[in-house]
Amino acid sequence: MNTCRIAAWLVALAMSAFCAEARAARDYISIVGSSTVYPFSTTVAEQFGKTSKFKTPKIESTGSGGGLKLFCSRVGADTPDIANSSRRIKQSEFDQCRNNGVTEIIEVKIGYDGIVLANAKNGQRLQLSRRDIFLALARDVPDPDREGQTMANPYTTWQQVNPDLPPQKIEVLGPPPTSGTRDALVELAMEGGCEEIPWIRALKEKDENRFKGICHTIREDGVFIEAGENDNLIVQKLDVNPQALGVFGFSFLDQNSDKVQGSLVDGKEPSFEAIAAGEYPVSRPLYFYVKKAHVGTIPGIEEFLAEFTSERAWGEEGYLSDKGLIPMPEDERASVGMAVRNLTPLVLP
Amino acid sequence: MSRNNVGAPSTMEIVHRNLGRRYRAERRFRLIGLLAIVSSLLFLALLFLSIVTKGASAFRQSFLLLDIHFSEEAMNVDNLAAGDYNGMVKEALRKMFPEVKSRSDKKLLFGLASPGAAFRLQQMVVADTSIIGSTRSVWLPADDDLDMLLKGHVDRLVPETERRLKDVQLAWIDDLTEQGRLRLKFNTTFFTAGDSREPELAGILGATMGSFYTLVVTLFLSFPIGVAAAIYLEEFASRNRWTDIIEVNINNLAAVPSIVFGLLGLAVFLNFFGLPRSAPVVGGLVLTLMTLPTIIIASRVSLQSVPPSIREAALGVGASKMQTVFHHVLPLALPGMLTGTIIGMARALGESAPLLMIGMVAFIVDVPKGFLEPATVLPVQIYLWADSPERAFVERTSAAIIVLLGFLIVMNAAAVFMRNRFERRW
Amino acid sequence: MIVPLLLVCILVCSQLAYWLGARRASRKAGAGGLSSLHSRPQYYGMLTALWCGLPALLVVLVWFFFAEAFLTSTVMEKIAPSLNLATPEEISLAENDLKNMVAGHGIMAAANPFLQQAAEDYLRLKAIGEKALFVVLLCLMTATSFFLWRRISPEMRARNHVELIIRAFLILCSTLAVFTTLGIVLSVLFESIRFFQLVPITDFLFGLKWSPQMAIRADQVGSSGSFGAVPVFAGTMLISFIAMLVAAPVGLMSAIYLAEYAGKKFRAVAKPLLEILAGVPTVVYGFFAALTVAPAIRSMGTGLGLSVSSESALAAGLVMGVMIIPFVLSISDDVINAVPQALRDGSYGLGATRSETIRLVVIPAALPGIVGGMLLAVSRAIGETMIVVMAAGLSANLTANPLQAVTTVTVQIVTLLVGDQEFDSPKTLAAFALGLLLFVVTLALNIVALYVVRKYREQYE
Repeated sequence: MNTCRIAAWLVALAMSAFCAEARAARDYISIVGSSTVYPFSTTVAEQFGKTSKFKTPKIESTGSGGGLKLFCSRVGADTPDIANSSRRIKQSEFDQCRNNGVTEIIEVKIGYDGIVLANAKNGQRLQLSRRDIFLALARDVPDPDREGQTMANPYTTWQQVNPDLPPQKIEVLGPPPTSGTRDALVELAMEGGCEEIPWIRALKEKDENRFKGICHTIREDGVFIEAGENDNLIVQKLDVNPQALGVFGFSFLDQNSDKVQGSLVDGKEPSFEAIAAGEYPVSRPLYFYVKKAHVGTIPGIEEFLAEFTSERAWGEEGYLSDKGLIPMPEDERASVGMAVRNLTPLVLP
Repeated sequence: MSRNNVGAPSTMEIVHRNLGRRYRAERRFRLIGLLAIVSSLLFLALLFLSIVTKGASAFRQSFLLLDIHFSEEAMNVDNLAAGDYNGMVKEALRKMFPEVKSRSDKKLLFGLASPGAAFRLQQMVVADTSIIGSTRSVWLPADDDLDMLLKGHVDRLVPETERRLKDVQLAWIDDLTEQGRLRLKFNTTFFTAGDSREPELAGILGATMGSFYTLVVTLFLSFPIGVAAAIYLEEFASRNRWTDIIEVNINNLAAVPSIVFGLLGLAVFLNFFGLPRSAPVVGGLVLTLMTLPTIIIASRVSLQSVPPSIREAALGVGASKMQTVFHHVLPLALPGMLTGTIIGMARALGESAPLLMIGMVAFIVDVPKGFLEPATVLPVQIYLWADSPERAFVERTSAAIIVLLGFLIVMNAAAVFMRNRFERRW
Repeated sequence: MIVPLLLVCILVCSQLAYWLGARRASRKAGAGGLSSLHSRPQYYGMLTALWCGLPALLVVLVWFFFAEAFLTSTVMEKIAPSLNLATPEEISLAENDLKNMVAGHGIMAAANPFLQQAAEDYLRLKAIGEKALFVVLLCLMTATSFFLWRRISPEMRARNHVELIIRAFLILCSTLAVFTTLGIVLSVLFESIRFFQLVPITDFLFGLKWSPQMAIRADQVGSSGSFGAVPVFAGTMLISFIAMLVAAPVGLMSAIYLAEYAGKKFRAVAKPLLEILAGVPTVVYGFFAALTVAPAIRSMGTGLGLSVSSESALAAGLVMGVMIIPFVLSISDDVINAVPQALRDGSYGLGATRSETIRLVVIPAALPGIVGGMLLAVSRAIGETMIVVMAAGLSANLTANPLQAVTTVTVQIVTLLVGDQEFDSPKTLAAFALGLLLFVVTLALNIVALYVVRKYREQYE
């Protein structure tokens, strides 16, 4: 029974240690959301925490959808103040927010993220067009013999897609359908390529569902490999397998430029300058959303916004560009920055 | 044997004839056993080796020796923390390479020092204001790209466009190395800092403390509850529908994917009980629910293996059922229960998926100081670093894994100690 | 915070009650010696201590969970009219302001005199409440323990009372599993139902195609989405099967060797070393599987003229098998070790060799435990995520070919839950449905296993 008593004392002590803390109110900013925005958001947060009198914000990587759900759940200290998103907020999410009392949301567009198709350095650099990407990756491709008909994608090498390309097996490691990166690949690269085929472009007006069904569906016969969202792993897999092409964000190409090379898309190299100038076709905007009701209640939100939208953060030479964020053009930065300073809420119908 | 047919061999003859084969089978069996163990140990060694070779270099970090002038003009009298420390670092670098004039070259030059260098100076000044106005030689952390080059993780022979460090920078680096102003030193930051986006400033203390708090909660809840549940089910419960339900339930919970426990934690602990997000106490509760089945199953198995004669003897001399169990059966079953608990805790220590839903997969710079402060845990930190683009995080990921494995080894050693003290064989 | 102080106070009082109770019992035993007591004096002491401590603990718990809410609402009620708070959200934010001020972080709300006043009120009320609580507790503890102390007599069945309380505690602990199950079912059920409103349940259960390529945003229509769970479950089975092919023989043979052949020292070192395998973070295994094992299998396969996908079930299964070896090994070893030596001696006495003894006597005797360990290992294999994500990918192929890419239920659940899509889309809801289905499937498997184990369970002595 002695052991029992010792155990009781131990448990009691542990409990008192636990209870010893007051349940203090939140004095730091809470941010949730996309894993794509996470590296940028954390960089600003760290800078903010070290140079201001406020605590460093807490940033969770939950995915855009999960983040916005938490964000929209209600107003209050136990809900996040900011939601990062790799896509624009949806109408349904906006409505949900409004129904839950989160009526005023400030939208902040922070810059662009390029999506690259890259392969290992020891492989041959590909010069793709968006049409090639579409033909190589779509589940159904137009039948060359029958106008207006599709067939299951028969192509297995890049040469079959386009005679100028090498006779290399098509093998693409890319994100799963739940990913915003995949969404951008489909909308920007594949749909763009899709529209170059005249009868499909004609479909766009007539039968939009069929148009999107053709352009937006990626093949599932093992040529496009859904490889999860760990982009570092994709880079390392490419290193082992020189045939394969990987789809990931520009910052990983930037950091691993000695290991992998980005394929040219429509003749444009995925470089910082080309993406910033809007020449490289596959890039998407990144956002975060702020709960206006929390501004002034949770300490530091305004100062954090000011830090994020300062030139030294998101400017052309800012520290975010070192992390791989592609800055917006100057006038766009100015207008977004103005909206943030005035805390102008987002208006959707 | 009594029916001794003349032609048929005797039993002894059959035995002797088969003896060679049986001995061979015996040796074979033993060899297979040994092979199984050796192969698993080999795999473990391989795993360790690959992690250690990748992560060992992270325990050292490049430092730059700079002559910093703590000028009075750069200080902010009201707020020492807000001085222009970055400017001091830049000034020192400029003095060392006065030939650098163009704006882009300057940017490259200043890129050699880590953004953390300014914070280091800031701490120095805040700690000792008397250094203001003097000039000191200070070892300051270098940028992670430079660090990677020094450690040989970056090939300097590839064309300039494919490198993050440019040719001019390489020349400066060679210059600095010759002057002895660039050196690899032990990386204390790694053990004393929280998370950071700059690899050279990132540390695991925050995650380690988070893991500690989480595991304390898990251990203090799951061990007593698990053992109590196992004792009840194994020793007291009569076989009926209700105990069958409980038993199936427990076995089933062991197979529930861990992220589902996260969903449960979100619904129950956060939304219903209103506990704070990202707090180690919630993580501990969720991990408790997750490890309970493992502990209960292992504890039951070890209770089952206590021979009934022990119980009968105790009951025979007049002990009550409760006394029998707590005084005689439990001490004998404890080593097995400890084994189960250690495996369960090891799993809890390495688990990240359920913590996602309760907000512990997060970027947290400040080291948590209690059970209710936002925290993350080691496996989550490893996962987050493994997903970071910066090259220098690769070795830090492995280094964090080494630390995690170190904790595992310590935990297991504790279990061995206890097991050796208690284990009995019948 | 006063709670830890109170806990220590309760503990001290209980200890005191223990001594008093035990002493009174000894006194009451009088000339007859301790044997005239129904139970040993410690039990009287323990009963007194429990009577003293348990009610007090309950009161403290109530205070801990409800005091803050009670105080806040009292204070807020007072100032709500003057602050013009209309919606619950505003009240929630004002409450946060209040808590901030109370905790001393009054950076911004200091401008509002009402809140300032409220915070002071709050602190004052809290101090009064805590003092009151302290007094109440002391009275309560004295009363309850005195009540019991008075009743202590040699006839009192103290041991039985104590055992009853312990037993109640044991039962409570064992039912926790049922509550957990209930909680899990409840937390996935509603979302699952919403999913089945969007996707017919038969399509989900019997569909042979898993391809959640549905639109992420409402304005994207047309992409196909099929949610047939069969290939996902088939992939889970395939990978778990491969993993068990590795873990079961290796784990069991290692356990046998450790328990029956190995020297004491070797065993003391090897077993904990191998148990480390279970605790290595799965990210590590994932990297190993994806970057070392998978390319090796691929090059070996192409060498043999087979077509191997760069992501294969085999790579994931093999590495996962290594990870779950400790689950089989550790428990089997403990159980084999616990088989009475007399059984072995009997077998040796009949002339059996060691391996024959092990195969024919020890293993059957230890079977229930071994099966328990195996079940635990299978469970872990089914629940594993990271290795599969990294090495076997996310493509749901319905195949029995271990060289192809497959996916598992848990991997799909995780990717669907952390995706960028809208949280109400069928894609996210599918994760809940998958979770529910997995729950039901493993439940069925476990019921079967329970009957099998019970049928073959043998008790040796």
